[in-house]
Amino acid sequence: MKKVLLGFAFTLLTVMSVMAQSKTVTGRVTSDEEPEGVPGASVVVKNSTVGAITDLDGSYSLVVPADGNTLVFSFVGYITKEMPIGSKTVIDVVLATDIKQLNEVVVIGYGTQERREITGSVTSIDSKSIENLVSPSFESQLAGRAPGVSITTPSGILGAAPIIRIRGVNSLTAGAGPLIVIDGVPVVSSDRSDVNDSNPLANINPADIASFEVLKDGSASAIYGSRAANGVILITTKRGSTGKAKVSYNTSMGINEAVETFKLLTGDEFVTIANEKLANAGQDPAAFPGVNTDWQDLVFRKGFVQQHNLSIGGGSEATKYFFSLGFTDQESAVRPNELSRYSFRANVDHSISKAVRLGLSMSYSYTEIFGLNNGSNSLSGAIYNATRALPNVPIYDEANTAFDGFNVTANGATTGFGNNLAGPDNNIPNIGFVIENNIYRSRTHRIIGNAYGEVDIATGLTARSQIGVDLTLADDFQSLDARHGDGRSSNGIVYMATNPAFLWNWQNTLNYQTVFAEDHSLNVTAGLEYQFAKYYGFSGEASDISDDYFRRNNLITGSYNNQFSSGSYSERGFDSYFGRFNYSFKGKYLASFTLRNDGISDLVGDNKRGTFYGGSVGWRVSDEAFFNSELISDFKLRASYAEVGNTDIDSFAAFGGYAPVLGGAGAGIGYNRIANSGLQWETSKKLNVGLDMTIGKVTIAADYFSNDVDGLILAAPTPPSLGVPDNSINQNIGAMTNSGFELRVASNIISRGKFTWDTDFNITFIKNEVTNLISPITSPYNRTQVGNSIGELYGAKWAGVNPANGNPMYYSGDDIIQYNLQPGLLPDGKPRLGYKVYDPSNPGDVSVSASGPTQDFLGRTLPKWQGGWSNSFTYGNFDAEIFTRFSGGNYIMNESLRGLLGQGFSNNQASILNRWTESGQVTDIPKLYSGEDQNMWQNSVSNSRFVEKGDFVKIQNIVVGYTVPAAALQSAFGGAISNARIFAQVQSPFTFTKYSGLDPEANSYSNQRQFGVDWNVAPIVRTYTLGLSVGF
Amino acid sequence: MKKFAIKNIKIALIGAALVGFTSSCEVTDLVPADLIPDSEAFTTAPRIESAVLGVYESAQRGFYNDVVQRGYPFGSANVEQGDLRGEDMYNDQAFYEITYNNSYSPNSANNRGMWISLYRMINRLNIILGNLDVALTNGVLTTDEANGYKGEMLFLRALAHHELLIHFARPYSDDPSSMGVPYRTFGIDDVAKVPEGEAVSRGTVGEDYAQLILDLDAAEGFLPEGDAGRANKGAAIALKSRIKLHMEDWAGVLAEYTKLTTKYAVTDNPVTPFRGGTSTDNIFSFINSATSNPGTNGALPAMYGNPDLGARGLVKISPIIWRADFWDAEDTRRTQLTTRSALGIFTDKYTDATTFSDPNPILRYVEVVLNAAEANARLGGAKTAVAVTLLNSVRSRALPASVPAYTVAGLGANLLTSILNERRIEFLAEGRRWADIHRLSGEGLMDGIPLKASSRSITSIDFYTTSKVILTAHSLPYSSDLFVWPIPLSELQSNITAPIAQNPGY
Repeated sequence: MKKVLLGFAFTLLTVMSVMAQSKTVTGRVTSDEEPEGVPGASVVVKNSTVGAITDLDGSYSLVVPADGNTLVFSFVGYITKEMPIGSKTVIDVVLATDIKQLNEVVVIGYGTQERREITGSVTSIDSKSIENLVSPSFESQLAGRAPGVSITTPSGILGAAPIIRIRGVNSLTAGAGPLIVIDGVPVVSSDRSDVNDSNPLANINPADIASFEVLKDGSASAIYGSRAANGVILITTKRGSTGKAKVSYNTSMGINEAVETFKLLTGDEFVTIANEKLANAGQDPAAFPGVNTDWQDLVFRKGFVQQHNLSIGGGSEATKYFFSLGFTDQESAVRPNELSRYSFRANVDHSISKAVRLGLSMSYSYTEIFGLNNGSNSLSGAIYNATRALPNVPIYDEANTAFDGFNVTANGATTGFGNNLAGPDNNIPNIGFVIENNIYRSRTHRIIGNAYGEVDIATGLTARSQIGVDLTLADDFQSLDARHGDGRSSNGIVYMATNPAFLWNWQNTLNYQTVFAEDHSLNVTAGLEYQFAKYYGFSGEASDISDDYFRRNNLITGSYNNQFSSGSYSERGFDSYFGRFNYSFKGKYLASFTLRNDGISDLVGDNKRGTFYGGSVGWRVSDEAFFNSELISDFKLRASYAEVGNTDIDSFAAFGGYAPVLGGAGAGIGYNRIANSGLQWETSKKLNVGLDMTIGKVTIAADYFSNDVDGLILAAPTPPSLGVPDNSINQNIGAMTNSGFELRVASNIISRGKFTWDTDFNITFIKNEVTNLISPITSPYNRTQVGNSIGELYGAKWAGVNPANGNPMYYSGDDIIQYNLQPGLLPDGKPRLGYKVYDPSNPGDVSVSASGPTQDFLGRTLPKWQGGWSNSFTYGNFDAEIFTRFSGGNYIMNESLRGLLGQGFSNNQASILNRWTESGQVTDIPKLYSGEDQNMWQNSVSNSRFVEKGDFVKIQNIVVGYTVPAAALQSAFGGAISNARIFAQVQSPFTFTKYSGLDPEANSYSNQRQFGVDWNVAPIVRTYTLGLSVGF
Repeated sequence: MKKFAIKNIKIALIGAALVGFTSSCEVTDLVPADLIPDSEAFTTAPRIESAVLGVYESAQRGFYNDVVQRGYPFGSANVEQGDLRGEDMYNDQAFYEITYNNSYSPNSANNRGMWISLYRMINRLNIILGNLDVALTNGVLTTDEANGYKGEMLFLRALAHHELLIHFARPYSDDPSSMGVPYRTFGIDDVAKVPEGEAVSRGTVGEDYAQLILDLDAAEGFLPEGDAGRANKGAAIALKSRIKLHMEDWAGVLAEYTKLTTKYAVTDNPVTPFRGGTSTDNIFSFINSATSNPGTNGALPAMYGNPDLGARGLVKISPIIWRADFWDAEDTRRTQLTTRSALGIFTDKYTDATTFSDPNPILRYVEVVLNAAEANARLGGAKTAVAVTLLNSVRSRALPASVPAYTVAGLGANLLTSILNERRIEFLAEGRRWADIHRLSGEGLMDGIPLKASSRSITSIDFYTTSKVILTAHSLPYSSDLFVWPIPLSELQSNITAPIAQNPGY
């Protein structure tokens, strides 16, 4: 079927002309994949219109004109090859596969479809380009690989989940991440750890993945009905194919390091700055010279990384198998963060007869993460602490054996003072001691698997039943030292929890495909699906530990005085009925229609059920008789429309009532949520218009899309004084649109002799606008309001430093005001400190009081444009890829910097040395003044002084590889090794950005309404690795 | 043979599908395991008791920055905010800086936390008030039980609204017609009730105080006597004495005092009320426990305790009061209720720095006594002697016999000042200072917030034990708009139908 269709497409290219003085050349086109011959390949005499198409066994015959001297062989999925004719009359060619255009058969929901027939918007990503990269989870490497798909890794902590957005943010308070389906089974995507960031997708071995399909528009995703609003990522794992067993082993090893760290004051600089803060506030010096310490040295390191994957795949006609073993251990650049994973997979397919097939996919993984406290504002938060600790104080004090030789005050309350009169603000602990002694460990056993049976009931009619499970057995262990740090106040804490999640999914589908009257091709799918998920867990906690010896591995009975426990239970179910109808006439006119009815347990009564639909049409213009372009070999127009839903809402979102609460007076119940039985599905109306085109060697896909999201399930804010739980009620209020344009251009640029250069570029422009809300949604940094995009930064507008007196200035409405930094009292007994009117003609005048700064929008947080650009090269046995990613049009609130310009007794960023010190000085850092953080920097809201552009271009990966020649292997190993490649890679080598923080993608909050805030986020990691792939 | 097998599989599949179909239909018919529906919450007496306990929980563990933490409003935060708005406790760290140096804004977390958590508590109790009569009618509760609960809820409603009034409104003693706070008297547990709730305006301070008295009079009628862990008749009366003091209703203060003289007594040892919370002095406290408390970032023993004793010690006693000449060096409240380290002096009223189970004392009899002393002093004339006697009953118990008691003649015109100073000593680290600054500034006896020790300037015990100069700052005149806290921005923005007014200057 595939071959027939492919051949059919290329008949258009067949333009034969017979000329005089010509000769006939014959030959056969084959490939590694199709050694029996590649049918439908095009053979053209270079710089002419003379050509032929290979037939079923790949052979061709062509009359070459006298002036023809080169043949060009090309076919979709293969790299185009040129061969000189010379005096030859037989030219056989082996085509090399082109990774980017493989996957001619595309996985779609509940089935597969040929790429040519697709009328929705589906991007396929082959795993080959990313499978050897070292990262904790696969999805972070998909960033920039597909148009319309935004993936940002918000911090350098291993285990932190990347944020995935397909075609923008499509919900306000419901989830905005895509549905992720592995081998047909939707997987649990909630973090089940209480003590660490534990990305559930990190449980999956990236090396087991064969391909990713991203369903972006409504039509492609409509088959997932109520779960389609945020797009769908379908993951297909590797399976065996008929033939001799192929054994392969891949490994890479290297280091992780922080790309950048904070530039802080030295100990001596700190003494100057700290005392100046105090002196300006009329206080005595408290800092005195000591040592010069950079506490960041304690926190950052070069972490060792390694990964090993071994797989065996093969099979007979009847039985195919794929087994794999994987191991990785990655130390992050932040101590003591580490992730290791052991995984195992078995995929087996067996045909009982021609009509009956059974199969199994089974994976088990064990992931262990050692995390840390990296709270943005936590006293033991690694980044917060290391950047605030006093730099004129030593880390170690060998005589202090009670605290393992760390410099800690005798009572354990804080870091030793050194020569200072005071300790660090808020009594922050010695982070060295904390890292050494506190343990944050999460472990996850994960089983994802499915079993299916398929029966061909009649010609073209196939019934399939599949049962899938996803079991997560997560357990946590947290142990805090009693002597110092977070555990001190409780005299030691040991916390353990187990938080399993269990999901089963049962799908029954009937598929009928047929071709009638030769030209009409039909593919109909109908199905039903049930899904049930259970989330439960309990914890035990101990405090007041009798002896440190007992807190290292587990709760040990009898070793603690106080014990606490907790537990939770939640469940959720779906049942669904769906159908899809695909029709094609001569491969030229294409249409698809999908209908799905879903029921969900989170809603009440009749509102439980919703019906969703999508449809699309396509027109392959290039197949029309009138279309006669030599340049454009393929040209397809597509359009689709769908209404789909979003179920990523609170479990039991429509229910209300009383939850258990434990007060000091006893266990009671507290009003927890206002019921809203009227709550309905959130719907997304998705429109997509696109085209696919091949012009010469250039492949283009372009799409315009718009998504109108209506009836948003919103935790609609209520005035806090109503006292409604969480100050919100779940309601279908609000609407917004995402619209944009995507473009992907891929081409072979050079293919000359041993050298090839391929390029693949994509870019997406997205505009988000909130069109209806009950009231603005506000959080400390962001504000979502009708007419703007989600979560724009909102806060005080900085007006600079008054050169006359060093006062910080802000806008209050249209006027500029200053906060007068002068100690003491006025003659009338009022303090001199306070907001004063700023008179540009008399800037030093602080006699007139003013009201405080007003707030305004300071910039959107969602990027307007983003994309990726891959360039790959081969020269003989060498290969290389440079992958670049870019994004921009957004703004970031650099809260890290604001905190590091604080006015307390803590370390500062080195730029504070530019503070105002004398009249007339023009600077952007005001006069120092102890304790005036809030008035100087407007701490509780965003501040335009710290709002920066987030534009960046990142060289994401550079990979260089060398494939050992087969002959060399043959002579060295006598055929024991069939292929071998060695490679060197560097991930995140360069970032080009004007953003002054550590990483323009850093993000402290993962919810879409609070975005674009960089608050003591761990720096992005650069990874250097060397690796080896061998096949046996 | 093969064909036969296929048939079997087909049949098996179809059979399995049918079985599955019928059983799987259940997957969408689920109910939450951790949420009792509204319709079932008031159907049994134990559940109503649970709901009432839920109000205490909300009083003790409210939201701060969208998370249940730090003891808002009455787990500890009322004490910490009340103290750090005043001059007698000293902010040693960044934690309470914004409150201490008056740099709050409509977005700052402390005032937002107070507003949100108080109204959350109020809505919980109003919902119960709205359901008690139904439960009574249905025979779920007896009349006595229902009345008891009504009394508890009304008492707590008044307590919460009064806390709002002292932070977010100008004092009654200045102008009862100034802007009050929304006084909520009905619960909102249905989408349909939202507009009605939004329509409640700020009203005036005078109207709010009138409603406080109404609620407390009713509570007094309903409530039985009881111990300090739950609202009781004595608590309603004691709170009225406090509120009438704010209203300058001196006779009213005395009337309430009279009702309590036979039920409670000032303890001989000032330490006793803080060791267990069940003394004759303890009228009402919010109970914290090892499993339910404000946590290490909010609990009084953690925040106020001495770091040498395992606490975090972010707040010290201010050297301003420690070195004040009115605080006798031999006072047992100095010698027995404080501890010291090289860095300064800490309160010892709260001691459980490990599991934070110290109760938060809200109403002590000694306050009612000092309220009565002040009311008598204000009324003057024949009452002056009574005022001095009452003052001595508090003061002399903490002093050795060698220190003579006050006399009418000896105090002369200083009587009122001495009573107010006694309050500063007696209630040090109990959060009462702000309420006094609030009401006394309103009537012109104080001009707003006095000078405080400069934040983070007190770096050693020398500031307490020698005459080392105490740097001062952070005063705030009564006329400043900052004297009252701003209404949180979210309140103004999310009220669509009838937004309330912001306090001037924000």
